[in-house]
Amino acid sequence: MDARNGATTLVKSRIGLAAGLCAAAFSIIVARLVEVMVFGASLAVTADADVARQPMRADFVDRNGVLIARDLPVSDLYVTPAAFWDTNEAARELAKATGADETRLKGLFSTKNGYVLVRRGLTPDIRDAAMRLGLPGLSFEKSYRRYYPAGRILSHAVGQVDPDDNGVSGLELGLDPIVRGSKGPLQLSFDMRVQYVLEHEMRETASEFSAKAAGGIVLDVNTGEVLALASLPNYEPNSRSTAPGDSIRNRLTQDVYELGSIFKIFAFAQAVEEKTVRLDETINIGKPLRFGRHTINDYSNHGSSLPVSMVFAESSNIGTAQIALRAGPTRQQQFLRKLGLLDGLKTELPEMASPLYPRRWNEVETVTISYGQGISVNPLAFAAAAAAVVNGGTLIRPTFVKQSAAQKGERVISEAASASMRDLMRLVVTEGTGSKADVPGYEVGGKTGTADKPVNGSYGRHLLLSSFTGVFPISKPQYLVFVMIDEPKGTKASFGFATGGWTAAPAVGRVVSRIAPLLGVRRNDTLAAANP
Amino acid sequence: MIRTLNFAFIAITGFVCLGLYRIAEEARVAAADLRETHVAIVSEQDALAVLGAEWARVTQPARIAALTQRHLKLSDLPVTEFSSLTQLPEKLPPPVPEASFATVKAIAPDTKPVPPRASSTQPDADASFAVINTGT
Repeated sequence: MDARNGATTLVKSRIGLAAGLCAAAFSIIVARLVEVMVFGASLAVTADADVARQPMRADFVDRNGVLIARDLPVSDLYVTPAAFWDTNEAARELAKATGADETRLKGLFSTKNGYVLVRRGLTPDIRDAAMRLGLPGLSFEKSYRRYYPAGRILSHAVGQVDPDDNGVSGLELGLDPIVRGSKGPLQLSFDMRVQYVLEHEMRETASEFSAKAAGGIVLDVNTGEVLALASLPNYEPNSRSTAPGDSIRNRLTQDVYELGSIFKIFAFAQAVEEKTVRLDETINIGKPLRFGRHTINDYSNHGSSLPVSMVFAESSNIGTAQIALRAGPTRQQQFLRKLGLLDGLKTELPEMASPLYPRRWNEVETVTISYGQGISVNPLAFAAAAAAVVNGGTLIRPTFVKQSAAQKGERVISEAASASMRDLMRLVVTEGTGSKADVPGYEVGGKTGTADKPVNGSYGRHLLLSSFTGVFPISKPQYLVFVMIDEPKGTKASFGFATGGWTAAPAVGRVVSRIAPLLGVRRNDTLAAANP
Repeated sequence: MIRTLNFAFIAITGFVCLGLYRIAEEARVAAADLRETHVAIVSEQDALAVLGAEWARVTQPARIAALTQRHLKLSDLPVTEFSSLTQLPEKLPPPVPEASFATVKAIAPDTKPVPPRASSTQPDADASFAVINTGT
C-alpha cells in the first residue's frame, strides 16, 4: 500500500513538474507576444528610420533653400579579369563604354588575377552601357560624387572635394566636420540670385575694361553674412580640372592688396571718432606734402583748400594725410588693429591671407596707409571693417553660414561717429567721385579707390587696382557691395579713365539696382523724385 | 482524465507549433519584402536626389537669363518701376464733375443711338472724350 502511495506521489510530482515547465514555456511565449504586440510598433519605426540614402556629405543649400552642392549616387566598376575569355577585347569594350584608358586596362587585365578597378564615379547611363556589354565578372560598387549644379558661379567659395569625398578647399574643407555624416542640408549665407547678379556684372565690367581679374562681395553689414562672393577668373568645379585661363585662386580671401583710397574710410572714421577734425573745418591741399624723398600728391587738382567733408568726397590724398597725422602712427595702428585689419581674419573659409604692413610705422607710413598704400589686406577683411564703420560702430565677423540674428560684436566707433561716416559716404556719391554708383531711391553711399599696383618693388604708372565700396540704404545700412577691378584699361566711353569712379562705381550701381528689389529693400520715392 | 488532458495538451502543442511555423514563415517573407522595399525606397531617394540636382541646374539664374536673352525680347525691369502697396495713393482720383456730363450732353443730345458710320463721325466721338478729359 505504501509502495503504491509512493508511486502515485512520484507520478503526481512529475506531472506537476511537467505542468510547471509547460506553464513557464507558455509564459515565455505570452511575454514575447506581449512584447511584439505592445512594443512592435516602435520596433517597426526604428526599422523604417534606417531606410534612407546615406551620402557621405550633407547638401549645401543657399539661404532660400536652392541647392548648391549634393552627393549624387554613382558606381565604381571593378572587374575580375580571370572571368574574361579575351582580356584585350574586354579592355577595348570597357574603355569604349566607360571612357577608361584602354592601355591601362590591358595592362591590368593581362595578369588575369585579382580584382581590378576600371573606373570610379560612373553615372547611371555609363553604368547601363557597361552592363549591356554582357561581360562576365563585372561588379558595381555604389558610391557618391559631389555635384555643383551652379557650376562656376560659386566655385571659389564652395570649393571642392577629392575623389573620396573629403573636402580639399573652400567651404567643403572649412565645414568638413559639420557636413560629413550629417543628414540634413546645411544652409549657407549665399543668395544664388545675388551671386548670379554680382558674377554677371563682374564679368561684364572686366570685359568692358579689358581687366586682368575682378572680384566682388555682397555682405550683410548687421549679421556678417556673405550673400555673394565672386572672384574672376573662376573654374568649373564639376570637371575637376582647370581650363586655360581659369583660376582656382580666390582673390577676395587668398590675396592681399593695397586697396587705395577706400582705406580713407578708416582714416576719417578715426578722426571723427577721436574728434581730431570738425567736418566743416577747411584743410589746405594746395601744395604737395613732402616727407624726405616722398612726395604726396592728389590725383587731380582740387584747388588750394577743401572742407573736411569734401576732402573725403573728392578723395584728396594731401588732405587725408594731414588728418591722419593728427592721430599719429601709434593711434592709427591701434585703430586699424581694433578693426581687425592687422590680424588674420577667421571665417569658415580656410583660405584666408594675413595682412602685410610695415614693421616700422612712422609718419610716412601713417600718411601712405591713410590712403591705402603701404598696407595690404584681403578684400573680405576690408569689407568687414568697412561694415563695422557704417553699421552703427560694432565689429562683425564675416560668415558663410546663414544666421538668424544680427551680430553683437565689439564696439569700435560710436553711433554718432558711424552716422557721420554714413553722411560722408553719401556725399561721395552725391557730390564726389562716386556719382556713377548712385541708384535713385536706394540711397547708395560709398567710397572710390584707385591704387597703384606695386610691380617689382615700385609702382607701375598704368597698373591700377580700381575699386568701390557701396553701402545701401545709407540712412539705415543693410548691405555692403564691394567691387574691385584688377588692371582695368580706360575706354572711349570712360574718356580713358580707369579709376574706381569710372569702373567699379558704375558696376556697384548696377549690382545695387538689380539686387535691392530682390532683397526686399524699399525704394525711398522722395529721394528718387528729388534725384531721378 | 489525465489521458484526455495529455491528448489535449499534445493537440494544443501541435497546433501552436504549426501556428508558430506559419507566423515564422510569414515573418521571413515579410522581412524579404521589407528588404526589397528598403532597396526600392533608397533607389527612389537617389532618383529624387538626381532630379533635385537636375532641377537646380536647369533653374539656375545664369541659364534662365541666357535662355531669356536668346528666345525672348525682355530686358531688366528698371528700379523706378518697383514700388510697394503702401506707397500707392490712398484715395481714388476725384470724381468727374457733373458739369462735364452736361457739356457732353450738349454736344451729344438725347437722341437715338446712331449706328457706327463712316470715318466722318469719329472726330465727334473723340471731341466728347476730349471735353471729359479736360473737365477732370
